[in-house]
Amino acid sequence: MRIPFLSMFMTSPFDGMQEHAEVVKDCAWVFQEAVECHISYKCSRFDSLRGDIIEMEREADSIKRRIRGHIPKGTIMPIDKFQLFRYLREQDSVLDSVEHALDWLSLRPDEKYPKEIQKDIFHLVEMVVDPIDELGNMIVEARKYFHNYKEKQRIIVKDIIRTLRLQEREADRVEHTIKAKIFSMDVDPITVYHVVKLAEIIGSIADHAENAGDMMRAMVAK
Amino acid sequence: MSAEYLILIIGFVFGFYMAWNIGANDVANSMASAVGAKAITIRQAVFIAGILNIVGATFIGSHVTNTIRKGIVSTEVMSDPHIALAGALAALLAAALWVSFATWRSLPVSTTHSIVGAMIGFGIMAGGISVINWGKLGAVVLSWVISPVFSLVIAFVMFKVIVRVILSRDAIFERSIRCSPYFIGITVFVVVLSFLFKTPLGKKFSISMPMALILSFLLAAVLGYIGKVLLRRYLVETESNGNGAEEVFRRIQIGTSCYVALAQGANDVANAIGPLAVIYFLVKTGTIGDKVPVPIFLLMFGGIGIALGIGMAGKRVMTTIGTKITTLTNTRGFSVDFAAATTVLLASKMGLPVSTTHAAVGGVLGVGLARGLEAVNFRIIFQIMIYWVLTVPASAITSMIVFKIIRIFY
Repeated sequence: MRIPFLSMFMTSPFDGMQEHAEVVKDCAWVFQEAVECHISYKCSRFDSLRGDIIEMEREADSIKRRIRGHIPKGTIMPIDKFQLFRYLREQDSVLDSVEHALDWLSLRPDEKYPKEIQKDIFHLVEMVVDPIDELGNMIVEARKYFHNYKEKQRIIVKDIIRTLRLQEREADRVEHTIKAKIFSMDVDPITVYHVVKLAEIIGSIADHAENAGDMMRAMVAK
Repeated sequence: MSAEYLILIIGFVFGFYMAWNIGANDVANSMASAVGAKAITIRQAVFIAGILNIVGATFIGSHVTNTIRKGIVSTEVMSDPHIALAGALAALLAAALWVSFATWRSLPVSTTHSIVGAMIGFGIMAGGISVINWGKLGAVVLSWVISPVFSLVIAFVMFKVIVRVILSRDAIFERSIRCSPYFIGITVFVVVLSFLFKTPLGKKFSISMPMALILSFLLAAVLGYIGKVLLRRYLVETESNGNGAEEVFRRIQIGTSCYVALAQGANDVANAIGPLAVIYFLVKTGTIGDKVPVPIFLLMFGGIGIALGIGMAGKRVMTTIGTKITTLTNTRGFSVDFAAATTVLLASKMGLPVSTTHAAVGGVLGVGLARGLEAVNFRIIFQIMIYWVLTVPASAITSMIVFKIIRIFY
């Protein structure tokens, strides 16, 4: 503090947000692998993959806490502090939902999923992996916008947000298909409940990604 | 050896110490944005700041110093050379003590305030409360609030203009080059005006205001044009990702940083050698008036002290800047420098003892408020201001005690 000029500069929250998005992005592929592994029952790595996700979740949590803890009162940023917190909460919820989905899967280790439904679940997972990927890009592009305030750059960010919204809608549709299918099948009620809930949890990943996009939309508002 | 010469030697030692401190701590104000924005390397910054501080102190620094800075204390107390000598030494020692304490406890205390406070303390001891010119003191305290605010506004506006006319447009590089004469021009305009009005060297030319304005404008136009030609010739667009503006402003920013360093040497050297000049004059002539001449070797002595401070401790400060201030790009750095330089010019034109620190702090806040920086700690300004204000009574009391102790022996 001897040199006031230096004490005014703080660690940028954007660094942390980007780091957090990277962790979330990394988890997407592990998640996809874990679900495929569990459902195809030819794979014994599920527990270790789930362990990886739990570890990533913990790491992302600590990044989130670090960002929150390093924005004291009176910090000037190009964005509102509470918008940033809400954005971060949504981005973190993506990872929470991923972890939750794997938790749910692990409750029935020997579940036999009907063949017709397997493909749809894989499809749904694919549908939610893309928005997770987009989150990382969104931060990078938003950061560019906050550097040059160019309208073109703002449009790039807005396009990503729109993509997130469309992807969520698509995921919703697949989620609905899975639910409708399983109810019409002749399987035991426990399996029905397990699959319905699984589809809902996986679907919520895209919801959280979309919510993060909505918060970003508020941040880049003029 | 007589007591007077002993006092003179002590004066030299502590005057040098104060100068060293200015260099070690305040170098951040002039070079931080340039180093942070990677316009120059740490080594270059140390070298440039050192040289320019010596040049600024020696050739532009005030050759006449008010016996007590800015007339806050009535000069009646100086009528007895005996007391005046003890007082100047007490002020210097008290200020040095405060600066050391601040460095030890990491407090944002400026040398300007330490000296002002120490002089007030000695004045009260020697002549009572009535010698303090409260109106003047009030103006000084007010300037500590006004100058950061002023700098904040300039930086805010400058950054918004840069965003509006360059950053938010297409073909940024070409646009930056096309707009560069205006930015170079306005900087040159401020620099030339400040040189003509602020420096004793400039005052020797005794140019009238309208003439000075015309001269500054002409020089600004010519240098702005030359700058554009040089930029176009030597700068090639390397990246198309929007960094073109930063490349152009990096060149312009080197100039603004140099100006801040020069102004710093000229402006701040008096804090270190003002009381020393009084001691020197008293020992040499035995009398003192309202003002004393400052021999050029004393100015150079102060300048070298500042340069050594920069050389020895400045590198550590700059390294911190390089790693800590990563979000300050050249366009932002230019806005900060420009605001700081302009504020120093205008404040000193009004006769207010402004420090480059105030101006630089205000500039950073201005760019932050213009959404130019990813995170700036605004609350720190209040802490800084509290210390700015607290330093004065604190160093005044220290100075009183030191004065009493010196009077026991002398």
